[in-house]
Amino acid sequence: MNGTQLKNNVKLSSKYLDVTYINNKTGTEVIALQNINLDIKEGEFICIVGPSGCGKTTFLNTVAGLLKPSRGTISLDNQEVDGPGKDRAMVFQTPSLFPWRTVMANVLYGIEVQKRVSNETKKKAQDYISMVGLKGYEHHYPHELSGGMQQRVNLARALTVDPSLLLLDEPFSALDAQTREFMQEELLRIWSETKKTSLFITHQIDEAIYLADRVFVFGARPGRVVDIVDINIPRPRDLNIKRDPKFLHLIDHIWSIIEKESAKQGFQ
Amino acid sequence: MHKNEVVQLSSNLSKGNLKKIGNRNRGLILSILSVVLFIVVWEVVSRNEWIDPLFISSPLAIAQAAVIMVQEPTFWQNMRVSGYEFGVGFLLAMVIGIPVGVFSGWNKTFNALVNPFISGLYVTPKVTLLPVIIIAFGIGPGSKIVIVFLMAFFPIVMNAQKAMHTLDQNLIKAARTFTANELQIFKMIALPSTVPFLLTGIRLGIGQGLIAVVVGELFASSAGIGFQLTNDGQNLQTDRMFVGVFVITLTGVILTTLLGIVEKHFSSWKPEKN
Ligand SMILES: Nc1ncnc2c1ncn2[C@@H]1O[C@H](COP(=O)(O)OP(=O)(O)O)[C@@H](O)[C@H]1O
Ligand SMILES: [Mg+2]
Repeated sequence: MNGTQLKNNVKLSSKYLDVTYINNKTGTEVIALQNINLDIKEGEFICIVGPSGCGKTTFLNTVAGLLKPSRGTISLDNQEVDGPGKDRAMVFQTPSLFPWRTVMANVLYGIEVQKRVSNETKKKAQDYISMVGLKGYEHHYPHELSGGMQQRVNLARALTVDPSLLLLDEPFSALDAQTREFMQEELLRIWSETKKTSLFITHQIDEAIYLADRVFVFGARPGRVVDIVDINIPRPRDLNIKRDPKFLHLIDHIWSIIEKESAKQGFQ
Repeated sequence: MHKNEVVQLSSNLSKGNLKKIGNRNRGLILSILSVVLFIVVWEVVSRNEWIDPLFISSPLAIAQAAVIMVQEPTFWQNMRVSGYEFGVGFLLAMVIGIPVGVFSGWNKTFNALVNPFISGLYVTPKVTLLPVIIIAFGIGPGSKIVIVFLMAFFPIVMNAQKAMHTLDQNLIKAARTFTANELQIFKMIALPSTVPFLLTGIRLGIGQGLIAVVVGELFASSAGIGFQLTNDGQNLQTDRMFVGVFVITLTGVILTTLLGIVEKHFSSWKPEKN
């Protein structure tokens, strides 16, 4: 960590945020997020957990600038978010790679769109390909890679545009358990090298605790923040901490928050 | 874990390839056998007059006719005329059909303007327009170019439209997060996505275009392979007629094979469909 000074800088701030979907045909409204207030500090690794349908993806898409708030604001570095920007990059649940582009060309995609292709950015792409462990696969096509390898390309593509905020929407949820754990460890290693503020969505509590500095627990109907849990587990973390009593205690704690939430829902 | 993935990948590839090579050889041998058998049976049936040779000629007679015909200047003249009609008509169908299809699939306003005509004409049997086309464009190559164009145009347009309607929204969303604008999405996602569909459209268009040339020439003409075919037929020269049929078939086979090579080049990124 780069000392307390950096960590106290607010990177991302959500104030009184509502996001509502309006069905074009019927005109009915779905309140996906209601009154989200939260701050994320520079260099933090934040995980959002919550049951499916609680608005996690909606929140991430709003931060990415793909959706507009119906009330409130998202600001990044004190600037109100209005559409996608070069300061953010997203890693999707489905790899969303371009099937006609090689690994290298996929990783360079964002750079091409942003008209920043140069020897320097090409070298950076190569570095990230190596960092995610795909050296030697530069000229392979996505269909020649396993799911885990495709997700690494997805990650390298996002890192190569050098965003100051990295957004990840359940990037490992489609992987088998073993690959997922391996990718979690890899992600932490890469994060410790790049120190990028990261917002990671998952519905797996252990994944959230393993990765995060803080876990935001979301509740459903309407989507909102029900609790924020500090994860005071020292870094670097290896996968063995998942069997640590402290870790298991945190899992129980977050579970109880979510259960209490769904019980309340039941009585409504 | 990473190493495991690598090992799995390479062993899968080599196994798949071996199996495919074996299958391909076996398939080729069976195909050749089947064709040879067909020719032999045809010759035998014709020799013994089980079916009147006037109707079916015979492989040997056709071969002899072919040898004579390739020495006739009119044969090559007819080839040139038909080739010209098909070439120009088909080129026009591509040059107009691809942009119209792509653009109408991309832009809702343009689609609303052109789609009534495309959908309407698509289901119209184009040959029914031949009498009008011949009145308008004469019995020369002009009318054949028009009918080739009309018949090849629709498969090409429809497939280009379809490509646009099946764009992967996840890719577009990814592009937007990288701040891609509409033009970049069009160039970097929409266009490459159309390639397999365009090739399908072109493949169907080739078939339709070849039919159009021959039907057009059969209907009214003064030169071309279809014209020659009609004449030979009227003179009861079945062997010469079959040479004409083979020339057309061969053209179709050559064109689709060439297209197959192009397809292979473009689909190196597509998973094998086994
Ligand atoms: N495009 C959409 N149109 C209408 N409703 C939507 C749309 N996307 C999501 N929703 C609704 O908004 C809520 C939150 O969805 P989402 O953000 O995808 O949740 P999560 O990612 O937590 O599973 C859900 O009730 C979902 O049905
Ligand atoms: Mg989601």
